Amino acid sequence: MINTVLYIIVVGQIIFSLLAILRAYSGPTVLDRVVAMNVITTNVVIILLIFAFIDNSYYYIDVAFVFVLGSFIGTLCILKLLREGHII
Amino acid sequence: MVYEYVAIFFLFSGFFFLVVGVIGLIRLPDVYTRMHALGKCDTLGTGMVLIGLMLLVRDVTNITKLILIMAMIINPVVTHLIAKTAYNRGTPMVEGSYVINDYVASQRRRRKSQVESKLSQEGGENLK
Repeated sequence: MINTVLYIIVVGQIIFSLLAILRAYSGPTVLDRVVAMNVITTNVVIILLIFAFIDNSYYYIDVAFVFVLGSFIGTLCILKLLREGHII
Repeated sequence: MVYEYVAIFFLFSGFFFLVVGVIGLIRLPDVYTRMHALGKCDTLGTGMVLIGLMLLVRDVTNITKLILIMAMIINPVVTHLIAKTAYNRGTPMVEGSYVINDYVASQRRRRKSQVESKLSQEGGENLK
């Protein structure tokens, strides 16, 4: 029963991530794309954690942690580039 | 058994909030309103899904890792920085929105009070 629920949630997350990609493609400004990428990152992390429970191999949790850190630093770099015109 | 039903409740509630956040991202008309939808729904949905997974895992090491991921992924810092960047770049708002800039108003008030105190110290008669 619990596996069925988790598969339903994973499929729903994938469908709504595709809808967020639609916003990232047709956003009028740059900040819309940044927000949409933030949402897609969150959905991907949740999908990774659910797969870690389904597959019963908990190394995916470490992968998700590194992914979260990378996306955080990436978003900060993009915002600094937009505000100041250079990163370093 | 009870753990599983509580976990299913948390998982479906978090999924509902994530879906509402993405619908707000697609349908709302402005950068600021989109962030308003996502900053709350994303935080609540992710927290509830991770609480459901914690109830399912029931292992101290993995629960600690999930708590660390929850502390990293619930980031008001990024939402705040996106809003500040959008405001500083002058991103256009939707028609008919009403802005109260508290930060600039408080700066202006402080500067005016400094000027008045300096005038009263130096005996404002001469400067007038």
